[in-house]
Amino acid sequence: MITFLAKRTATLVAAVLLSSFAVFLIPYVTPGDPVRKIIRSRVAGDVVDDSTVRALSDSLGLGDPLPVQYLRWLGDFFTGDMGLSHISRTPVVDQVLPALGITLSLVVVALGIAVVVSLPLGTVAALKQGGKADKLITTVTQSFIAMPEYWLAPLLVLVFALRLSLLPSAGWNTASSIVLPAATLALRPISFFTSAVRAGMIDALEAEHIPAARARGLSRAQTVWRHVIPNGLVPLSTLFAVWFAGLLGGSVIVEVIFAIPGMGRLLYDAVINSDIPLAQGGVVVVVALAVAITTLADFLHRILSPKVSGTLA
Amino acid sequence: MPELIIDGLTVRNTTTQRPILSGVSLSVRSGEFVALVGGSGSGKTMTAKAILQLLPQQLEVGAGSISLDSLELIGAPETELNRVRGGRLGMLFQQPKKMFNPNRTIGKHLREPLKLHAGLRGGEARSKVHGLLAEVGFADPVWGARAYPHQLSGGMAQRAMTAMALAGKPGILLADEPTSALDKVLEQQILELLDRERSQRGLGILYITHNLASVAAFADRVLVMDAGQIVESGTTDAVLGNPQHPYTRMLLEASNLAPSGISESRTEGRTALALSNVTKHFGAGSRRRTALDSVCLDLKQGEILGVLGQSGSGKSTLARAIVGLEGISDGSITRTPTPGRPSSPTAVQLVFQEPHDSFDPRMTLRASLEAPLRGLTVAQRSSRLNEAMEEVELDPALLDRLPNQCSGGQLQRVTIARALLLEPTVLICDEATSALDALTQRTVLELLQRLHRDRGLTLMIITHDMDVVRHMCQRVAVLFQGRLVELTGTAAFFADPQHQHSKDLVAAAIPCRGLHLKRMRSVRN
Repeated sequence: MITFLAKRTATLVAAVLLSSFAVFLIPYVTPGDPVRKIIRSRVAGDVVDDSTVRALSDSLGLGDPLPVQYLRWLGDFFTGDMGLSHISRTPVVDQVLPALGITLSLVVVALGIAVVVSLPLGTVAALKQGGKADKLITTVTQSFIAMPEYWLAPLLVLVFALRLSLLPSAGWNTASSIVLPAATLALRPISFFTSAVRAGMIDALEAEHIPAARARGLSRAQTVWRHVIPNGLVPLSTLFAVWFAGLLGGSVIVEVIFAIPGMGRLLYDAVINSDIPLAQGGVVVVVALAVAITTLADFLHRILSPKVSGTLA
Repeated sequence: MPELIIDGLTVRNTTTQRPILSGVSLSVRSGEFVALVGGSGSGKTMTAKAILQLLPQQLEVGAGSISLDSLELIGAPETELNRVRGGRLGMLFQQPKKMFNPNRTIGKHLREPLKLHAGLRGGEARSKVHGLLAEVGFADPVWGARAYPHQLSGGMAQRAMTAMALAGKPGILLADEPTSALDKVLEQQILELLDRERSQRGLGILYITHNLASVAAFADRVLVMDAGQIVESGTTDAVLGNPQHPYTRMLLEASNLAPSGISESRTEGRTALALSNVTKHFGAGSRRRTALDSVCLDLKQGEILGVLGQSGSGKSTLARAIVGLEGISDGSITRTPTPGRPSSPTAVQLVFQEPHDSFDPRMTLRASLEAPLRGLTVAQRSSRLNEAMEEVELDPALLDRLPNQCSGGQLQRVTIARALLLEPTVLICDEATSALDALTQRTVLELLQRLHRDRGLTLMIITHDMDVVRHMCQRVAVLFQGRLVELTGTAAFFADPQHQHSKDLVAAAIPCRGLHLKRMRSVRN
């Protein structure tokens, strides 16, 4: 376990470094003069004349070899200095952190809904495998996959905001603002989680140690609670992490439709406006968080399912 | 005085109306060791499941009664049954490692019956868990309680299962093939453990098995089951010494694997396979484990070599290394091509232990077998498959079935057919008959002998079954902790084993010769 921890942490760091290096290179590989782009992300005032550019280039060390520049950039980045936005001329970190907070709460609520809905649905479908309840649950949740967010979101707005006037149609002002976007975002994970829970529970139900548990005197309900549900949920931990990581940057459609100032929206705007420092800041934060979450899920999987650590030994 | 009495038990499949058990009557009293023997599919396991009232959904008790200390179990309320299961009635299963929840420690498993049947919790339960594990032979019960099932060997897992079955202080123990997956030495130890419980605290044991040698050594009475009926019963002496029913005679005959008179080793022959200093490590650094340690071995063309060793001795790793499923850390494996045939990487084939595990459950047998024949036309493939099936004495119509629609014996023949399709010169059988009952095992061994005779196939038979070695092999190799500790002719091996481990193996493997074992047991007690 210790070696596994060390290995996975090393992989995590390597993944973050590699992707951050690619991000660091953006000013160099995009059209235009990299030096001017970098100066623009570092200096508040507008710089036009060549002599000032040269002076700033020297003082910012832009003549240094790339690896040295990269390390300096990385150091600044992780101490909270992500540079200035090309458009708003304010520090990137002041835009990235609030956006991250908004997206995190959106994703946590959406996946929370997905788990709360799919756990009982998947479990019931598995326990009544092949029955009417199973068929209904499977058909309905599977159909969710075919409902794209840009179709569902306007539909929900139409019904709950415009027709029933229950919820706000857009924006991020009141607590109720989160309901419609989170529900939209939850729909597809519900469908994937339900089928994962169902499959996991069926495997756990059919395991050979289940009759052995009954033979020790456990009732059917006790067996299900102790030996079926915990084992059946193990695959969900991995799937959950993948979705979490994916939605961090992938909630863009929902954020744009509902006018939510989150991470997806931020990245979308940064790319549309060629705001390089903003895009750099957003991408590195999302990647670092996504890698950290999947690594965490791997640890959790090890703890839940100790056999994994021994299978290839 | 605990007593289990089954009277006229009939169990039917509700969908096909096929009878599974017909009028089964038996009884097990306190302090009795009763054996229930029969081939696979004879209804032995269903009898145990019926006693616990845990029959599969499609099966239903038609008639009869099952009473435990005058409590009728058929139709008893679930709450009552939950108190009986694991309480007054303990159960041991085949393949103990699969009977534990892989995500829970052994200690947590043991706490369940302690809480349910003895009301023990917390520290009390913990010390009881350690006590039980020590009682069944765990050298370090504290470690044992913290271990996960996959960390235990098969033998230790069956000991832990025994501890769990004994935790509720049962009067009667149902043991369903508890040692079929274990080697002879471990089998002996587990059965001695059960027998000690029997003599010390009057445990009544219903021992379900197809292994007559262990029955001879331990049982007081024997019941023989065939096609869901008890066809013969009586004391062990009477049934094994003077069998009346033809089925019993057949079982006894099949269990009695005498040397088959295959000519002595042809050591002068050409070498088919040469292993030189084969070494295999798993893991790295401080966790490095040596599975094979400088194994040197020559396999002669046309010989049958038996490879013996306990679980974990490196037998399977050796087989996997030879066919290339496992890389080796050091040494070399050289195949000598047969004259007149192109050297081929498929010249050595492997037959695995668990026939059901060696097929993709979603593919028909035809699809599985066709996989390596991609270069041929449909007609060619089909005729090759039919030939191979006929070679192993199976109906080619079986090819269109799924693996779970076949019996273990049929499937093991199909694995042999699959190996033969690639026209191997050497066939390695890794415990190929260990999962089969005595009758089926006998027919598979005969098939292998015929292939050896007719095709000149070189066989390497990896087993823990001494009777198989005695019956089939010309030479014996013994692996112990990854090292080759003995390599000699079969007769010499049984007459005068050299290494201490070989001596233990020979001593634990007294063949089923009926009654003298019974006498040995009375001397021992």
